[in-house]
Amino acid sequence: MPAVIWLVCACGQANDESVVFAVGGAPSEVAFWEELLVDFKRQSGIRVDLLRQPADTDQRRQGLVIALNARQSDPDVFLMDVAWLGLFVASDWLAPLEDDVEAAPFFQRVIKLVDRRQEHLMALPVYLDAGILYYRRDLLERFQLPGPPGTWPELLSQALTVQRAMRKTNPRFYGFVWQGAQYEGLVCNFMEFSGSRGGFLQQGGELRLDVAANRTALTFMRDLIRQYRISPPNTYTEMKEEQVRLYFQAGNALFERNWPYAWALHQSPASKIKNKIGMAPLPAPPDGERVATLGGWHIGLSRFSDRRHQALKLIRFITSYDTQKKIMSRMGWNPGREDLYDDPDVLRRAPQYRELKDVFQYAQPRPLLPYYTQISAIAQRHINSVLADRKSAEQALSEAQGEIDALQQRYDVE
Amino acid sequence: MRISFNNRFFSRETWTAVGFLLPLVGFVVIFILLPVLGTLTDSFFLDVTYRPKRFLGADNFIWLFNDPGFGRALRFTALFVLVSVPLEVILGLIMALVLNERLPLRGLMRAAVLVPWAIPAVVSGRIFELIYNYSYGAANYVLRTLHLTQGPVNWLGSEIGAFLALVAADSWKTTPFAAIILLAGLSAIPADLYRQAQVDRATFIQRFFKITLPLLKAVLIVVLLFRTIEALRVFDLIFVLTGGGPGGATTSVSLFGYNYFSAGDFGYGSTASVILFIMAFGLSLGLVKLGRVEQGVMP
Amino acid sequence: MNEDAFKKAIIFTAAAATILFCLAPFGYMILTGFSRYPDFFSPQTPWVATLSNYRAVMFSESLHFTAFLRNSIIVSAASAVISVFFASLAAYAITRLALPGKLLFMFLILAMSMFPPVSLVGYLFKLMTALGWINTYPALIFPYVAWTLPLSLWILVSYFSRIPRDLDRAGLIDGCSRLQILFKIIFPVAAPGIFATLLLAFIFAFNEFLFALMLTTDRAARTIPVGIALFEGLHGQIPWGEIMAAATLATLPVVALALIFQRRIIQGLTRGAVKG
Repeated sequence: MPAVIWLVCACGQANDESVVFAVGGAPSEVAFWEELLVDFKRQSGIRVDLLRQPADTDQRRQGLVIALNARQSDPDVFLMDVAWLGLFVASDWLAPLEDDVEAAPFFQRVIKLVDRRQEHLMALPVYLDAGILYYRRDLLERFQLPGPPGTWPELLSQALTVQRAMRKTNPRFYGFVWQGAQYEGLVCNFMEFSGSRGGFLQQGGELRLDVAANRTALTFMRDLIRQYRISPPNTYTEMKEEQVRLYFQAGNALFERNWPYAWALHQSPASKIKNKIGMAPLPAPPDGERVATLGGWHIGLSRFSDRRHQALKLIRFITSYDTQKKIMSRMGWNPGREDLYDDPDVLRRAPQYRELKDVFQYAQPRPLLPYYTQISAIAQRHINSVLADRKSAEQALSEAQGEIDALQQRYDVE
Repeated sequence: MRISFNNRFFSRETWTAVGFLLPLVGFVVIFILLPVLGTLTDSFFLDVTYRPKRFLGADNFIWLFNDPGFGRALRFTALFVLVSVPLEVILGLIMALVLNERLPLRGLMRAAVLVPWAIPAVVSGRIFELIYNYSYGAANYVLRTLHLTQGPVNWLGSEIGAFLALVAADSWKTTPFAAIILLAGLSAIPADLYRQAQVDRATFIQRFFKITLPLLKAVLIVVLLFRTIEALRVFDLIFVLTGGGPGGATTSVSLFGYNYFSAGDFGYGSTASVILFIMAFGLSLGLVKLGRVEQGVMP
Repeated sequence: MNEDAFKKAIIFTAAAATILFCLAPFGYMILTGFSRYPDFFSPQTPWVATLSNYRAVMFSESLHFTAFLRNSIIVSAASAVISVFFASLAAYAITRLALPGKLLFMFLILAMSMFPPVSLVGYLFKLMTALGWINTYPALIFPYVAWTLPLSLWILVSYFSRIPRDLDRAGLIDGCSRLQILFKIIFPVAAPGIFATLLLAFIFAFNEFLFALMLTTDRAARTIPVGIALFEGLHGQIPWGEIMAAATLATLPVVALALIFQRRIIQGLTRGAVKG
């Protein structure tokens, strides 16, 4: 009996001869990484095992948290959503990179705000995202409107004008579609409605949510749906990235808030709105500067990796100029390397990168606290309840603030 | 002939018995009792991956009771138990009554009844995830064909829809177990009683309520308690079918605890699971007490 | 007479409904696994039979499905065997040997099986991490043994208590030790019961999810339930066809066991729950 047990134990060990790289996302993404790693093997002779994670972001995080908390040596290298960096850095799961990689070619603002923590470089941005405004150029011309709106009130008035006219022929037409369902994307939208004086304000160690700019923004978001009716009634129940994109792409909206990925799809041959659209920075609130929420994925090295040397080679490969260019051309993702945005090839293929480069200069990350996911959950719930007309903005913000205070007290009291 | 000692605390037989029991006790103590005690201890600490571990006293519990998220999880779990357990027991009783009859293809029926029970809960979760799918699930198809609804119903996108979907999936999975146990109870009822009732011209309904139910009472209570304890700790199904959504509306206490574990907060997750443990343990003590009462009643 | 016919009609309807209820979702799973288009319910989409889903699941390297199946079978079988072995030792002691507080002991063990897994898994995770057992078979086998022991104990006690003591006495007279009596005399007589317990323990271990989810992080060690729950597939958005094919394959072992040995299993379950 003991022999059986021992034998069974010995058989369960994982094969430890290669670098393990954890990726997830849509199947097309994973396929892209697989191809890339074939190249890498050819170039460097190092074999990389792809650890395929689920597409769901939360499940990807859970898988990494459990493995890292158990101090597993696999995965050696992994991609992290920018929102997780706070947790991963504070839990001491990442190995510093500054001695082994070059950070200069990347967007320095992102590096400074997100990747450089406690004077160490903990990660590098593989691709970036920021919220932007898509608009129907043809409709703005038709109604003799000057150009994309610079402030939210301007957006409202332009949307009302166009929607009133378009409704005569298209009853499903709405002025502005955005992500209002109860999920992380809602928080991103909220930060953009609030601008620089709103969102999650960090004063000292404390997070403040119930400020005037947020009250204004929340009320505005709710009114877009309920009072002005320029956003569809299912905005707060169903509208996420794809639902918004499909609605705009069917020609049923004037303005869209979405991530840069939508551009290529809007311009695809089968699209109804091909060549009729423009991309612009999101409007600013009446009080404060405009904000685009920073998204994207960063690459990190596990502190428990047993193949550090090879893993670093992999990281350098993925963040190299050529690979980043492939990321752009093959997947349509926005590279983390700033120097790529001046490449004539890139600009020819994707002229909107000129605008994007600017947007990334002022993109705002979400709070980099280790317990950000819990904070986001609180914020999502309360913001959504305002959109659902279950609470007033004041009430929701003050309740959310109370919960956030309790949370912070739990995690930060010394 | 071996000589055995008379003192019952030192008899050879007792030592043999202890030896035979030791492995089982060892496993259960190390891998069940110890973890529970460990979890209990952990609930008194701030135990997160990004802060040094710190003793908190009862603070975790105070925060937990003031946490609206936990309140929601408790309410959902209670509602889930109150709705699905009686449903499963009633359906199981019907199934047991059917299985008790002398029907052709009885073997096939028994086998059919075992299928939902045998498969993993996560598999049944994914099947029902497809059934309740907005665009091409069978549920919406059936509703539309029967002209009960206009357009597709967003089951998993609404709180009530997700709740109903969970109850349906859970009932499918667990009714067979109730049915099997109740069937055993039914077959223990002497046939003479029914024959006597038929002689006395009792109707089917009367026979059911005057004979079947009373004699089934003990087994019914056992099934109810078993199923309640099981339903309290529901996890697998919810993880797969709704993920706790939409917006945390269908997060059970188990899932609540797990979400904190997987966000690196072991202290708080342990606190929630301690509460769940107390509830389940309290109920199982009730089962124990019932069993001991049973000992006196049943032959 | 009328009531009789009426009653018969009701029974038949209920029987048909029962079979439909139990098998419909299962059948749906199988159908979708063999179907090219998962939305074959909508009028526009035809039902096209295909084996491509199964091919994708079984033969694609990066899905590791066969690894999951292998892990599940090994872990569940090992746990079942070990669990039944130790449970039979204990059941023998309970039914044959003099010991104070047996009933209390039995009920305490039963109570232990009622603990919510989530109340154990946090600490188990830390324990396994400290032992370095994460992603190895012992990480799952040891907890599964402990988890199935109470059930095994109750069922085996029920079976063993029906075996007359005379058999033991004969063995004792012949000079056998208790252990020899257990293996040479009791086991053969109780074989059906032991087999039923093995089956039940296997099925319970096979279907377990939470421990497997948290105590393994690596596809080399993960089990079927985790694989099915996190299954994403190779092509397309949510590959329902492939998920259902994988689910069918995943449930093949347990359903086959349940169907072949249904009488034993039902016997075991009822013995465990209904005393007497």
